[in-house]
Amino acid sequence: MMARTDQAFMMPPSRWVGYLVALALIVAAPLVLGTPYWRGILVVCAMNVLLALSLNLVLGYTGQLNLGQSAFFAIGAYVSVILVRSHGWNFWLAMVAASAAAGVAGLLLAAFAVRLRGHYLGIASLGFAVITYQVLVNWERVTEGVRGIYGIMPPPPIVLPGLPEISFGNSLALFWLVGGIAFVVYWMLDNLVRSPVGETLRALREDEVSAASLGINGARWKAFAFGLASTIAGLAGCFYPGFVGTLVPDAFNIVESFTMLAMVIVGGMGTMIGPVIGAVVLTFLPELLRSAGELRLMIYGIALTLVVLFMPGGILQLVQIVRTRLAPRADGGGSR
Amino acid sequence: MSDLATLLVQQSINGVYLGCLYVMVALGLTLIYGVMNQINFAHADFVTVGAFTAFFVATRFATKVLGLGDAAAYLVSIFIALGAGAVLGLLVNAVVFAPLRERGDELRPLIATIGISVLLENGQLALFGPIPFQFDSPFAKETIRLGRVFFTGQSVLVVVASMLAIGALYAFMKFTFTGKALRAVSQDRETAGLMGINPDFLIGLTIVIASAMAGMAGALIGPVLVLTPFAGATVIVKAFAIVIIGGFGNMEGTILAGILVGIIEAFTVQYLGSGLIDLVVFVLLLVMLVVRPTGLIAERREENV
Repeated sequence: MMARTDQAFMMPPSRWVGYLVALALIVAAPLVLGTPYWRGILVVCAMNVLLALSLNLVLGYTGQLNLGQSAFFAIGAYVSVILVRSHGWNFWLAMVAASAAAGVAGLLLAAFAVRLRGHYLGIASLGFAVITYQVLVNWERVTEGVRGIYGIMPPPPIVLPGLPEISFGNSLALFWLVGGIAFVVYWMLDNLVRSPVGETLRALREDEVSAASLGINGARWKAFAFGLASTIAGLAGCFYPGFVGTLVPDAFNIVESFTMLAMVIVGGMGTMIGPVIGAVVLTFLPELLRSAGELRLMIYGIALTLVVLFMPGGILQLVQIVRTRLAPRADGGGSR
Repeated sequence: MSDLATLLVQQSINGVYLGCLYVMVALGLTLIYGVMNQINFAHADFVTVGAFTAFFVATRFATKVLGLGDAAAYLVSIFIALGAGAVLGLLVNAVVFAPLRERGDELRPLIATIGISVLLENGQLALFGPIPFQFDSPFAKETIRLGRVFFTGQSVLVVVASMLAIGALYAFMKFTFTGKALRAVSQDRETAGLMGINPDFLIGLTIVIASAMAGMAGALIGPVLVLTPFAGATVIVKAFAIVIIGGFGNMEGTILAGILVGIIEAFTVQYLGSGLIDLVVFVLLLVMLVVRPTGLIAERREENV
């Protein structure tokens, strides 16, 4: 236990390199993909990375089947917009409050997770997402229902003394903002899952009874995982309306939860980098298939099924297989 | 009868009619869950495929090619939709469930069937387009009047046909050797295998039966759906709620819960508005999970709750 804790503070050089490469990619991606269209896709991609990371914490590390992650994305989006528009809050303050609201909603779902397991929890969380969606549709006085909220402004510009104003009206700066946040969240979660907290969550995933016999309070740690994961999903939600400019309940249909689930599974559940890969692939794949027209989503469906059938560990497993094939002499000791 | 009593009776009839349709869909989910602890997310799309199959058989093939009358054509289409569902069940078992069965994972088959669902929905979208089809049942025009209560020939047909299907399935499960073997597999697959039962065959059979029911439900529900490639999705979330309220894998509970949800839906439309149906049903679901997580009729499966 102690040895692993030390590791978390003294990162091996390979991790530093990984982080630097990731940062470089975040900086370079919108410069390479220079059109507004592709930069928009990048913003969506960064949000999806956040969502996949958040779901993976609950699903991959804590082992709780959650089919309703879109609910927290929705709560983040709606609470932030409503606070800014109807109550005149500052966006950044509203962002904190909206993420917290999503986190509290996550605690509510955790209350079910304490009592339910497996598919039961899956359907309960699905029900949670359906209820959230229905509230958005029916509570018209606050959410405008299916009519939607229009003309939502992007996050306000940041003015730092001595520097030019940073405006988020274009998708370049917005991508760097959301991508930067995704990077920070990744870094935090990466450290978290390597810490004793991560060990605790994994213990819950593997066997709740044994974990309890080691003195782990399952209810408390499930609440922690759900609360943190839904806060992150809510944070992602805060950037969605300002980017799209409109907010309608249909953006948070339960199908969105399945898409997030697919990202986690396709990338590689229970690993840190897997869901990121999954989010990137599943964001770009439909765009790259756009030339296939109507067949686009059919191919997407087939690809999803095939990945699950033939790569149970997701794309990450494929990468590892290729790596071992290409370098048969290198021993596997260095890889995690 | 007073106005209130008439209203109650009328809405209860509507509720039972809806409930029968939900039971048809939910029973398939619960059967599959019972026998192999898996959820088929594409189940709803089997309903949609059934509805489209029935639509084209009833309005094109049976009337134009076979020269049947409208009523006979619709009845034929119900059986063909049932067959279409069975074929889909056979395929999804061969492609997804059978290969993934031995890996003992509850998540991957779920995701794989989400992929199948995306494929089926968009395949139908490419074939039929997004504009809803008008599927008129020849039985919907006949109204039957009992006192001050009205119902259509279609609702009688739906209730009778689904009761027959549900009854046949129930009798099959309770009284035939194969049905008993099936229940043995759902209780303990390995021990059942030791008793000379072939679990793979029976699991495949369950999926085929469940999917055939979904296809048949599609033919029956088609005339009341807004028939688009995504029509099944509106039914499936409710079917999931019903399966949980009834207790996963529990046939009697599912039948009871299906009828109950149908009646609740009818009264929600009457007193609260149709926009609130899902809200009411899912709040009921969450309350149910807190109060009685084993379902309406409790049985063994305590390990999940």
